[in-house]
Amino acid sequence: MRSPEVSGVMLPAVRDGASLNHALDLGYRQVLLERGSLLALVGPLVSAARQGIAIFVNLDGVEGLAPDTAALNFLATDLGFSGVISVKPHALRDASRFRLRTVQRIHAIDSTGLETGLSSIVSPVPYAIAVAPAVAVPQVISTVRAATAAPIWGTGFITSVGQASEVLAAGAAVVSSSSPEVWHAFSPVPVR
Amino acid sequence: MLVLAPVQFKAPPEEVEAIATRAIVPPARVRPVDGSVAKLQEMFAKVPVAAVIRRSEELPRALASQVPAVFFVRAPAFHLGPLVWAVQAKHKMAFVHIDLIAGLGKDRAGIAFLAREIGVNGIITSHSGLVAAAKAERVIAIQRLLLYDDLALPSAMTALEHARPDIVEVLPGVIFPLVVDQIRARFALPIIVGGFVTEPGQREAALQRGALAISTSTAGLWS
Repeated sequence: MRSPEVSGVMLPAVRDGASLNHALDLGYRQVLLERGSLLALVGPLVSAARQGIAIFVNLDGVEGLAPDTAALNFLATDLGFSGVISVKPHALRDASRFRLRTVQRIHAIDSTGLETGLSSIVSPVPYAIAVAPAVAVPQVISTVRAATAAPIWGTGFITSVGQASEVLAAGAAVVSSSSPEVWHAFSPVPVR
Repeated sequence: MLVLAPVQFKAPPEEVEAIATRAIVPPARVRPVDGSVAKLQEMFAKVPVAAVIRRSEELPRALASQVPAVFFVRAPAFHLGPLVWAVQAKHKMAFVHIDLIAGLGKDRAGIAFLAREIGVNGIITSHSGLVAAAKAERVIAIQRLLLYDDLALPSAMTALEHARPDIVEVLPGVIFPLVVDQIRARFALPIIVGGFVTEPGQREAALQRGALAISTSTAGLWS
Protein backbone atom coordinates (compact mmCIF):
# COMPACT_ATOMS: atom_id res chain seq x y z
CA MET A 1 0.00 0.00 0.00
CA ARG A 2 1.39 3.36 -0.94
CA SER A 3 -1.09 5.44 1.00
CA PRO A 4 0.23 6.97 4.24
CA GLU A 5 0.37 5.01 7.50
CA VAL A 6 -0.83 5.92 10.98
CA SER A 7 2.00 7.27 13.12
CA GLY A 8 1.74 8.05 16.82
CA VAL A 9 -0.96 7.23 19.32
CA MET A 10 -3.54 9.96 18.71
CA LEU A 11 -5.99 9.91 15.80
CA PRO A 12 -8.02 13.15 15.70
CA ALA A 13 -11.68 12.52 14.80
CA VAL A 14 -12.89 15.37 12.58
CA ARG A 15 -16.26 16.18 11.09
CA ASP A 16 -15.89 19.41 9.15
CA GLY A 17 -13.37 21.75 7.53
CA ALA A 18 -12.69 23.67 10.73
CA SER A 19 -11.84 20.60 12.81
CA LEU A 20 -9.78 19.17 9.94
CA ASN A 21 -7.70 22.35 9.73
CA HIS A 22 -7.33 22.48 13.48
CA ALA A 23 -5.93 18.92 13.61
CA LEU A 24 -3.55 19.60 10.71
CA ASP A 25 -2.38 22.89 12.29
CA LEU A 26 -1.43 20.93 15.41
CA GLY A 27 0.92 18.88 13.24
CA TYR A 28 -1.08 15.68 12.99
CA ARG A 29 -0.28 13.49 10.00
CA GLN A 30 -3.51 11.47 10.32
CA VAL A 31 -7.22 12.12 10.74
CA LEU A 32 -10.38 10.08 11.03
CA LEU A 33 -13.43 11.50 9.27
CA GLU A 34 -15.96 10.35 11.83
CA ARG A 35 -19.15 12.25 10.92
CA GLY A 36 -20.38 14.82 8.46
CA SER A 37 -20.51 14.89 4.68
CA LEU A 38 -17.49 13.41 2.98
CA LEU A 39 -18.51 14.97 -0.32
CA ALA A 40 -18.52 18.50 1.16
CA LEU A 41 -14.94 17.98 2.37
CA VAL A 42 -13.46 16.18 -0.63
CA GLY A 43 -11.25 19.12 -1.71
CA PRO A 44 -9.39 19.70 1.57
CA LEU A 45 -9.18 15.97 2.30
CA VAL A 46 -7.65 15.16 -1.08
CA SER A 47 -5.06 17.91 -0.79
CA ALA A 48 -4.18 16.62 2.69
CA ALA A 49 -3.87 13.07 1.36
CA ARG A 50 -1.55 14.33 -1.42
CA GLN A 51 0.68 15.84 1.27
CA GLY A 52 1.00 12.47 2.96
CA ILE A 53 -1.72 12.77 5.59
CA ALA A 54 -3.28 9.39 6.40
CA ILE A 55 -7.04 9.70 6.06
CA PHE A 56 -9.40 7.16 7.56
CA VAL A 57 -13.14 7.28 6.96
CA ASN A 58 -15.85 5.95 9.26
CA LEU A 59 -18.09 4.29 6.66
CA ASP A 60 -20.93 3.97 9.17
CA GLY A 61 -20.81 7.61 10.21
CA VAL A 62 -20.17 9.82 7.18
CA GLU A 63 -22.96 11.03 4.96
CA GLY A 64 -22.98 10.99 1.19
CA LEU A 65 -21.36 7.59 0.63
CA ALA A 66 -22.97 4.24 0.01
CA PRO A 67 -21.14 1.36 1.70
CA ASP A 68 -20.61 -0.36 -1.66
CA THR A 69 -17.71 -1.19 -3.96
CA ALA A 70 -18.14 1.95 -6.08
CA ALA A 71 -17.67 4.15 -3.01
CA LEU A 72 -14.68 2.14 -1.76
CA ASN A 73 -13.03 2.27 -5.16
CA PHE A 74 -13.52 6.05 -5.17
CA LEU A 75 -11.93 6.41 -1.71
CA ALA A 76 -8.95 4.23 -2.58
CA THR A 77 -8.25 5.06 -6.22
CA ASP A 78 -9.54 8.58 -6.80
CA LEU A 79 -8.96 10.11 -3.39
CA GLY A 80 -5.91 8.15 -2.18
CA PHE A 81 -7.25 7.69 1.36
CA SER A 82 -5.51 5.29 3.72
CA GLY A 83 -8.29 3.23 5.23
CA VAL A 84 -11.84 2.78 6.45
CA ILE A 85 -13.53 1.96 9.74
CA SER A 86 -16.76 0.01 9.89
CA VAL A 87 -18.65 -2.50 11.99
CA LYS A 88 -19.82 -4.24 8.81
CA PRO A 89 -17.68 -7.27 7.86
CA HIS A 90 -18.78 -7.25 4.22
CA ALA A 91 -17.79 -3.60 3.76
CA LEU A 92 -14.34 -4.36 5.22
CA ARG A 93 -13.88 -7.37 2.96
CA ASP A 94 -14.69 -5.19 -0.05
CA ALA A 95 -12.37 -2.46 1.23
CA SER A 96 -9.39 -4.81 1.48
CA ARG A 97 -9.91 -5.66 -2.20
CA PHE A 98 -9.22 -2.01 -3.00
CA ARG A 99 -6.08 -2.11 -0.82
CA LEU A 100 -7.59 0.14 1.83
CA ARG A 101 -6.49 -0.52 5.41
CA THR A 102 -9.45 -2.00 7.24
CA VAL A 103 -10.27 -1.11 10.81
CA GLN A 104 -13.07 -3.23 12.24
CA ARG A 105 -15.10 -1.44 14.86
CA ILE A 106 -16.36 -3.60 17.72
CA HIS A 107 -19.10 -2.22 19.94
CA ALA A 108 -18.20 -2.85 23.56
CA ILE A 109 -21.71 -2.26 24.89
CA ASP A 110 -22.15 -5.39 26.99
CA SER A 111 -20.73 -8.91 27.07
CA THR A 112 -23.37 -10.16 24.61
CA GLY A 113 -22.58 -7.44 22.09
CA LEU A 114 -18.83 -7.92 22.48
CA GLU A 115 -19.18 -11.66 21.81
CA THR A 116 -21.15 -10.95 18.64
CA GLY A 117 -18.58 -8.41 17.47
CA LEU A 118 -15.60 -10.64 18.14
CA SER A 119 -17.19 -13.57 16.34
CA SER A 120 -17.51 -11.39 13.23
CA ILE A 121 -13.83 -10.40 12.94
CA VAL A 122 -12.98 -10.57 9.26
CA SER A 123 -10.31 -12.40 7.44
CA PRO A 124 -7.77 -11.27 6.25
CA VAL A 125 -6.89 -9.97 9.71
CA PRO A 126 -7.90 -6.30 9.90
CA TYR A 127 -5.28 -3.54 10.12
CA ALA A 128 -6.71 -2.81 13.57
CA ILE A 129 -9.70 -3.49 15.81
CA ALA A 130 -11.36 -0.32 17.05
CA VAL A 131 -13.15 -0.77 20.37
CA ALA A 132 -16.05 1.65 20.86
CA PRO A 133 -16.47 3.35 23.27
CA ALA A 134 -12.75 3.72 23.93
CA VAL A 135 -13.35 4.19 27.67
CA ALA A 136 -14.41 0.52 27.81
CA VAL A 137 -10.96 -0.62 26.57
CA PRO A 138 -9.48 -1.30 30.04
CA GLN A 139 -12.44 -3.59 30.80
CA VAL A 140 -12.48 -5.56 27.56
CA ILE A 141 -8.94 -5.57 26.18
CA SER A 142 -8.03 -9.01 27.53
CA THR A 143 -11.12 -10.53 25.88
CA VAL A 144 -10.35 -8.77 22.58
CA ARG A 145 -6.68 -9.81 22.72
CA ALA A 146 -7.72 -13.43 23.15
CA ALA A 147 -9.78 -13.21 19.95
CA THR A 148 -7.38 -11.43 17.59
CA ALA A 149 -3.75 -10.56 17.00
CA ALA A 150 -4.63 -7.22 15.36
CA PRO A 151 -3.61 -3.99 17.13
CA ILE A 152 -6.40 -2.52 19.27
CA TRP A 153 -7.57 1.05 18.89
CA GLY A 154 -9.99 2.93 21.09
CA THR A 155 -12.59 5.26 19.50
CA GLY A 156 -15.45 7.25 20.98
CA PHE A 157 -16.15 9.07 24.25
CA ILE A 158 -12.61 10.25 24.86
CA THR A 159 -13.21 13.75 26.16
CA SER A 160 -10.28 14.24 28.52
CA VAL A 161 -6.53 13.76 28.44
CA GLY A 162 -6.77 11.47 31.47
CA GLN A 163 -9.18 9.12 29.70
CA ALA A 164 -6.95 8.95 26.62
CA SER A 165 -3.90 8.13 28.76
CA GLU A 166 -5.83 5.44 30.63
CA VAL A 167 -6.89 3.75 27.39
CA LEU A 168 -3.32 3.82 26.05
CA ALA A 169 -1.95 2.53 29.36
CA ALA A 170 -4.42 -0.36 29.17
CA GLY A 171 -2.76 -1.42 25.93
CA ALA A 172 -4.49 0.39 23.06
CA ALA A 173 -2.11 1.20 20.20
CA VAL A 174 -4.05 4.23 19.00
CA VAL A 175 -6.80 6.32 20.54
CA SER A 176 -9.18 8.57 18.67
CA SER A 177 -10.84 11.68 20.09
CA SER A 178 -12.98 14.51 18.78
CA SER A 179 -11.87 16.87 21.53
CA PRO A 180 -9.36 19.59 20.46
CA GLU A 181 -8.20 19.80 24.07
CA VAL A 182 -7.05 16.18 23.90
CA TRP A 183 -5.45 16.82 20.49
CA HIS A 184 -3.42 19.64 22.03
CA ALA A 185 -2.08 17.43 24.79
CA PHE A 186 -0.95 14.75 22.34
CA SER A 187 0.14 17.16 19.62
CA PRO A 188 3.24 15.94 17.76
CA VAL A 189 4.62 19.50 17.53
CA PRO A 190 5.34 21.61 20.61
CA VAL A 191 2.52 24.08 21.25
CA ARG A 192 3.82 27.63 21.42
CA MET B 1 -99.97 -29.69 17.88
CA LEU B 2 -97.30 -28.71 20.26
CA VAL B 3 -94.09 -27.51 18.70
CA LEU B 4 -91.11 -27.33 20.95
CA ALA B 5 -88.86 -24.44 20.35
CA PRO B 6 -85.24 -25.51 19.83
CA VAL B 7 -83.23 -25.11 22.99
CA GLN B 8 -81.16 -21.97 22.90
CA PHE B 9 -78.02 -22.15 24.93
CA LYS B 10 -76.02 -19.00 25.17
CA ALA B 11 -73.25 -18.49 27.65
CA PRO B 12 -72.76 -14.96 28.90
CA PRO B 13 -70.07 -13.17 26.83
CA GLU B 14 -67.52 -13.01 29.66
CA GLU B 15 -67.77 -16.79 30.07
CA VAL B 16 -67.25 -17.36 26.34
CA GLU B 17 -64.08 -15.33 26.58
CA ALA B 18 -62.95 -17.29 29.63
CA ILE B 19 -63.48 -20.59 27.84
CA ALA B 20 -61.56 -19.38 24.80
CA THR B 21 -58.72 -18.20 27.02
CA ARG B 22 -58.53 -21.56 28.75
CA ALA B 23 -58.35 -23.29 25.41
CA ILE B 24 -55.31 -21.39 24.13
CA VAL B 25 -53.34 -20.57 27.24
CA PRO B 26 -51.16 -23.35 28.66
CA PRO B 27 -51.65 -23.83 32.40
CA ALA B 28 -48.05 -22.83 33.11
CA ARG B 29 -48.75 -19.21 32.27
CA VAL B 30 -49.51 -17.01 35.23
CA ARG B 31 -51.12 -13.63 34.99
CA PRO B 32 -49.00 -11.03 36.76
CA VAL B 33 -51.07 -9.18 39.31
CA ASP B 34 -49.43 -5.81 38.71
CA GLY B 35 -47.01 -5.25 35.85
CA SER B 36 -46.86 -1.47 36.04
CA VAL B 37 -43.75 0.69 35.93
CA ALA B 38 -44.58 1.93 39.44
CA LYS B 39 -44.59 -1.65 40.72
CA LEU B 40 -41.26 -2.35 39.03
CA GLN B 41 -39.74 0.78 40.60
CA GLU B 42 -41.02 -0.33 43.98
CA MET B 43 -39.42 -3.76 43.48
CA PHE B 44 -36.13 -2.23 42.34
CA ALA B 45 -36.12 -0.03 45.45
CA LYS B 46 -35.65 -3.22 47.46
CA VAL B 47 -33.25 -5.08 45.15
CA PRO B 48 -31.86 -2.77 42.43
CA VAL B 49 -30.61 -5.48 40.07
CA ALA B 50 -31.95 -7.06 36.87
CA ALA B 51 -30.48 -10.43 35.88
CA VAL B 52 -29.42 -10.58 32.23
CA ILE B 53 -29.94 -14.09 30.84
CA ARG B 54 -28.02 -15.04 27.70
CA ARG B 55 -28.48 -18.82 27.85
CA SER B 56 -31.34 -20.75 29.39
CA GLU B 57 -29.01 -22.66 31.73
CA GLU B 58 -28.30 -19.36 33.50
CA LEU B 59 -31.96 -18.98 34.45
CA PRO B 60 -32.24 -21.26 37.55
CA ARG B 61 -29.73 -19.17 39.46
CA ALA B 62 -31.64 -15.99 38.62
CA LEU B 63 -34.90 -17.60 39.71
CA ALA B 64 -33.35 -18.57 43.03
CA SER B 65 -32.00 -15.04 43.59
CA GLN B 66 -33.81 -11.99 44.93
CA VAL B 67 -33.69 -9.99 41.67
CA PRO B 68 -37.11 -8.57 40.80
CA ALA B 69 -36.57 -8.58 37.03
CA VAL B 70 -35.03 -10.83 34.40
CA PHE B 71 -33.85 -9.53 31.02
CA PHE B 72 -33.76 -12.14 28.26
CA VAL B 73 -31.28 -11.26 25.53
CA ARG B 74 -30.67 -13.49 22.53
CA ALA B 75 -33.44 -15.94 23.41
CA PRO B 76 -35.18 -17.96 20.67
CA ALA B 77 -38.62 -16.36 20.40
CA PHE B 78 -40.68 -19.45 19.88
CA HIS B 79 -39.26 -21.31 22.86
CA LEU B 80 -39.41 -18.38 25.21
CA GLY B 81 -42.83 -18.94 26.80
CA PRO B 82 -41.91 -21.45 29.55
CA LEU B 83 -38.85 -19.37 30.52
CA VAL B 84 -40.94 -16.21 30.87
CA TRP B 85 -43.66 -18.03 32.83
CA ALA B 86 -41.09 -19.55 35.18
CA VAL B 87 -39.88 -16.01 35.95
CA GLN B 88 -43.42 -14.75 36.55
CA ALA B 89 -44.26 -17.73 38.77
CA LYS B 90 -41.48 -16.44 41.05
CA HIS B 91 -43.22 -13.03 41.18
CA LYS B 92 -40.49 -11.43 39.08
CA MET B 93 -41.00 -9.46 35.89
CA ALA B 94 -39.74 -10.78 32.56
CA PHE B 95 -38.35 -8.50 29.84
CA VAL B 96 -37.27 -9.49 26.37
CA HIS B 97 -34.67 -7.72 24.26
CA ILE B 98 -36.44 -7.80 20.91
CA ASP B 99 -33.50 -6.53 18.83
CA LEU B 100 -31.44 -9.64 19.59
CA ILE B 101 -34.16 -12.24 19.74
CA ALA B 102 -33.89 -15.03 17.18
CA GLY B 103 -36.75 -15.87 14.87
CA LEU B 104 -39.01 -12.90 15.55
CA GLY B 105 -39.74 -9.90 13.34
CA LYS B 106 -38.50 -6.64 14.82
CA ASP B 107 -41.86 -5.01 14.23
CA ARG B 108 -45.35 -4.46 15.65
CA ALA B 109 -46.38 -8.05 15.04
CA GLY B 110 -43.30 -9.29 16.87
CA ILE B 111 -44.08 -7.06 19.84
CA ALA B 112 -47.72 -8.15 19.81
CA PHE B 113 -46.63 -11.80 19.89
CA LEU B 114 -44.41 -11.22 22.92
CA ALA B 115 -47.04 -9.15 24.73
CA ARG B 116 -50.15 -11.19 23.97
CA GLU B 117 -49.07 -14.76 23.32
CA ILE B 118 -46.20 -14.96 25.77
CA GLY B 119 -47.30 -12.24 28.15
CA VAL B 120 -43.95 -10.58 28.78
CA ASN B 121 -43.93 -7.68 31.24
CA GLY B 122 -41.83 -5.50 29.01
CA ILE B 123 -39.75 -5.02 25.90
CA ILE B 124 -36.16 -3.83 25.64
CA THR B 125 -35.11 -2.21 22.37
CA SER B 126 -32.81 0.47 21.04
CA HIS B 127 -35.28 1.45 18.31
CA SER B 128 -37.69 4.31 18.96
CA GLY B 129 -40.33 2.83 16.65
CA LEU B 130 -40.50 -0.35 18.70
CA VAL B 131 -40.86 1.66 21.91
CA ALA B 132 -44.08 3.11 20.54
CA ALA B 133 -45.31 -0.37 19.57
CA ALA B 134 -44.52 -1.70 23.04
CA LYS B 135 -46.42 1.14 24.68
CA ALA B 136 -49.37 0.48 22.40
CA GLU B 137 -49.38 -3.11 23.69
CA ARG B 138 -49.37 -1.77 27.26
CA VAL B 139 -46.14 -3.45 28.29
CA ILE B 140 -43.21 -1.62 29.88
CA ALA B 141 -40.89 -0.11 27.25
CA ILE B 142 -37.19 0.05 28.08
CA GLN B 143 -35.14 1.92 25.50
CA ARG B 144 -31.45 1.08 25.29
CA LEU B 145 -29.10 3.97 24.79
CA LEU B 146 -26.04 2.38 23.19
CA LEU B 147 -23.32 4.92 23.82
CA TYR B 148 -20.25 3.94 21.86
CA ASP B 149 -19.61 7.32 20.36
CA ASP B 150 -19.83 10.79 21.93
CA LEU B 151 -20.76 12.29 18.57
CA ALA B 152 -23.83 10.03 18.53
CA LEU B 153 -25.08 11.23 21.93
CA PRO B 154 -27.16 14.18 20.63
CA SER B 155 -29.04 12.00 18.13
CA ALA B 156 -29.57 9.34 20.79
CA MET B 157 -31.09 11.99 23.08
CA THR B 158 -33.37 13.19 20.28
CA ALA B 159 -34.51 9.61 19.67
CA LEU B 160 -35.29 9.32 23.37
CA GLU B 161 -37.29 12.53 23.26
CA HIS B 162 -39.46 11.21 20.42
CA ALA B 163 -39.94 7.71 21.81
CA ARG B 164 -40.56 8.60 25.47
CA PRO B 165 -39.93 5.12 26.88
CA ASP B 166 -40.91 4.18 30.44
CA ILE B 167 -37.29 3.50 31.37
CA VAL B 168 -33.97 4.15 29.67
CA GLU B 169 -31.09 1.69 29.90
CA VAL B 170 -27.66 3.29 29.47
CA LEU B 171 -24.83 1.08 28.16
CA PRO B 172 -21.95 0.46 28.70
CA GLY B 173 -21.86 1.15 32.43
CA VAL B 174 -18.55 2.99 32.26
CA ILE B 175 -20.27 5.75 30.23
CA PHE B 176 -23.02 6.44 32.79
CA PRO B 177 -21.10 8.93 34.97
CA LEU B 178 -20.07 10.83 31.80
CA VAL B 179 -23.63 11.31 30.53
CA VAL B 180 -25.91 11.17 33.57
CA ASP B 181 -26.09 14.95 34.03
CA GLN B 182 -26.89 15.54 30.36
CA ILE B 183 -29.67 12.94 30.43
CA ARG B 184 -31.08 14.20 33.74
CA ALA B 185 -31.13 17.76 32.42
CA ARG B 186 -33.58 16.71 29.71
CA PHE B 187 -35.52 13.73 31.02
CA ALA B 188 -37.01 12.64 34.32
CA LEU B 189 -36.93 8.99 33.21
CA PRO B 190 -35.72 6.24 35.52
CA ILE B 191 -32.33 4.95 34.35
CA ILE B 192 -31.00 1.40 34.40
CA VAL B 193 -27.25 1.02 33.95
CA GLY B 194 -25.90 -2.03 32.14
CA GLY B 195 -22.99 -3.31 30.10
CA PHE B 196 -19.80 -4.64 31.73
CA VAL B 197 -21.11 -4.03 35.23
CA THR B 198 -19.23 -6.90 36.85
CA GLU B 199 -18.01 -5.59 40.21
CA PRO B 200 -19.97 -4.67 43.36
CA GLY B 201 -18.17 -1.30 43.32
CA GLN B 202 -19.57 -0.49 39.88
CA ARG B 203 -23.07 -1.36 41.07
CA GLU B 204 -22.75 0.94 44.09
CA ALA B 205 -21.29 3.77 41.98
CA ALA B 206 -24.20 3.61 39.51
CA LEU B 207 -26.80 3.59 42.29
CA GLN B 208 -25.11 6.49 44.03
CA ARG B 209 -25.30 8.52 40.82
CA GLY B 210 -29.06 7.98 40.81
CA ALA B 211 -29.60 4.86 38.71
CA LEU B 212 -32.85 3.00 39.42
CA ALA B 213 -31.06 -0.34 39.02
CA ILE B 214 -28.25 -2.09 37.22
CA SER B 215 -28.57 -4.93 34.73
CA THR B 216 -25.88 -7.59 34.69
CA SER B 217 -25.17 -11.13 33.54
CA THR B 218 -22.64 -11.52 36.37
CA ALA B 219 -24.47 -13.92 38.67
CA GLY B 220 -22.36 -12.82 41.64
CA LEU B 221 -24.16 -9.45 41.59
CA TRP B 222 -27.67 -10.93 41.62
CA SER B 223 -27.79 -11.51 45.36
